[in-house]
Amino acid sequence: MTMKIGGFAGNVLDVDLTKGEIKQNRLDDALAEKFIGGFGLCLKFAYDRIRPGTEALSADNPVILGAGPLVGTNLPSSSRVYAVTKLPTSNTIGWCGAGGVNFGYLLKNAGFDHVVIEGKSDHPVYLKILNDQVEICDAEALWGKDVEETYLILRESVKMPAGIISIGQAGENRVTFSMAFIDRMATLGRGGFGAVMGSKNLKAIVVNGDQGIRVADRKRYDALSKSFFQRIKEYRHLKEWQDLGLLKSFPLVPVETYKKIKKRRIACVSCPIGCKDVVEIQDGKFKGFTAGTSSAMNLFTPLAYGFEDYREAVKCTATLDRYGLDMFEFFGIMSFAKTLGDNGIIPKEQIATEIVIDSLASMEIWAKKISLREGLGQILADGFHRILQEFGENAKAYAPSLVKGMHPYAGPGSALPWELFGTMELGQLMEPRGPHVGSGGSPTYFARRPLDVFPRHLARMGVPEAAIERILSGVNDPECEEALKIGSLLKYSHGWFTTLGSLGVCARGQINRFYSASICAELYETVTGIKTSLEDLRRRVERVWTLYKLANIREEVEHKGEVPPDQWIGESGFKNYVTQKPLTREEMALMVEDYYQEWGWDRKTGVPTPETLKRLGLTEY
Amino acid sequence: MAKYEIQANTENCTGCLRCQLGCSNLYTKAFNPCVAYIRVNVSGADCSITFTEDCTECGVCADHCFYGALQKEPKESSE
Repeated sequence: MTMKIGGFAGNVLDVDLTKGEIKQNRLDDALAEKFIGGFGLCLKFAYDRIRPGTEALSADNPVILGAGPLVGTNLPSSSRVYAVTKLPTSNTIGWCGAGGVNFGYLLKNAGFDHVVIEGKSDHPVYLKILNDQVEICDAEALWGKDVEETYLILRESVKMPAGIISIGQAGENRVTFSMAFIDRMATLGRGGFGAVMGSKNLKAIVVNGDQGIRVADRKRYDALSKSFFQRIKEYRHLKEWQDLGLLKSFPLVPVETYKKIKKRRIACVSCPIGCKDVVEIQDGKFKGFTAGTSSAMNLFTPLAYGFEDYREAVKCTATLDRYGLDMFEFFGIMSFAKTLGDNGIIPKEQIATEIVIDSLASMEIWAKKISLREGLGQILADGFHRILQEFGENAKAYAPSLVKGMHPYAGPGSALPWELFGTMELGQLMEPRGPHVGSGGSPTYFARRPLDVFPRHLARMGVPEAAIERILSGVNDPECEEALKIGSLLKYSHGWFTTLGSLGVCARGQINRFYSASICAELYETVTGIKTSLEDLRRRVERVWTLYKLANIREEVEHKGEVPPDQWIGESGFKNYVTQKPLTREEMALMVEDYYQEWGWDRKTGVPTPETLKRLGLTEY
Repeated sequence: MAKYEIQANTENCTGCLRCQLGCSNLYTKAFNPCVAYIRVNVSGADCSITFTEDCTECGVCADHCFYGALQKEPKESSE
């Protein structure tokens, strides 16, 4: 069952949990070329398989998993895994992405590029994929167990190595901000992917395979990968990134504190940075407590919510991870609930256990109440929308910033108090899936990057020369209010994210800095054998993201959901990236319009124009 | 083909498997860590690095390591 083009495993696994049916189908070569692979093909399958108006937590909502054509090779950080489904928190068709740890390369080695899971089992199950031996297995004994326990039991049960996606109790109980975890570390699913798995009674997916991935042009590949390897080895900050990971950018604790608890840095397959961690608390009440995490930065994040003891922060994050909760949404919900309690909108007797945001004991109790839907946790588990519904108009005035029903985690009043308005910040508004900074990367990342580095980085991201000029046209004009066109630039952030995700490469800045759009085109052609110029790749990328937009327009999540929340405006709101003056609603609206226009979508409504659809070969959508 | 003494420093290993990918690609013309002559097993904080009987000591695994977990020294010729 090998494919004639390289890189791809060549097959799509179709699972119907209602009927208990499993089918293995060949991946269509022409489709792979048109939508690149990985992220792009996941979206194509989602468009085809998700019927408009499908309820996110119904049996009708399919889950589409996939890994791009570079996954399984030794190219740097080519291990990315994507899932696309209807997300319950934002009610959008959205992606969830994770460094695949072991899952991506093993899925490919089992012979599959994609897995489509439909229906709902009438009892808890897990999906076991061992090469072409695919089985829906009973998971009664796993139901009720947390992410870590589930991972350890399943890992013992199959021949090593194994890639494992699992959910905790939060996913089982359809908490709308629950996530799944890959190999108990990598988070998959801000927006409620865990709840979608739980709604199918699907506790986990286990994969192992040994079929191998072949590249089309070995000679060219060897030359390209050798030069890549050398460039990374010679990178002057490599050791620092390997030692500190994301803490280099977010120094939430002193380096000595991190080194004290660091036991091992873990890398997804083929990654030269390794941003995942295993830590062990060395002293105090939690001495000997160990945790694995998607990054040490995440472990320490409760410090940003007021925790004072880093050991309690680590314990808190580990608890949330084990239940399978999205930390940012959890703290946003708890802060909102506390405010409503303090103002008498949620009656005291209903709260029962005091909500103390910076207390480990309180947060662990609430994590349990939400995950098991106990007491007020039953309401909180359904997210902001349900809280607002339950506690009426009075609650509205106290709500944090919300975009498409979710709390943006970067910006005024959010966990990451970034104040300059770059592409990641605007991206939280423009992401069809709901607020996420993951796809909005550009040199505005972590703000205050000097403007003179922009042309080089933009060219690397594949921005055409004319667009670079347009985006930066006002930079040297002190009178120009829109010196840097963030809206126009965001198109290319989303395009760059689509490029990397569709190939199967991690989008994190520390990694993607070694890639460029032209190298991506060359790698894609070398690995797959599909003729691909930079222009070809750009067009396919535009096709993928435009189809993503169309899928959500079909769901009626369009322009009306892309209005900046009030908290973003005014003196305490976001600031212009260049002038650092507070942004007005009108200025933000202009950026939104610029973004639509740059894509070739209607400037006012965001609907792709007939000309754009024709150019991209999407007229049938 | 030159032979090398491969030194494994498990403390530095992150389980990225680039060594297994490089080995399998050299000997089977496919990226297939399961058939590599070097085996890395990272489980939580524990790590083991072993070599199968088929290992030719060519050093390609060490050439692929980003983390200093594998290093190679030329073996003195026995001839």
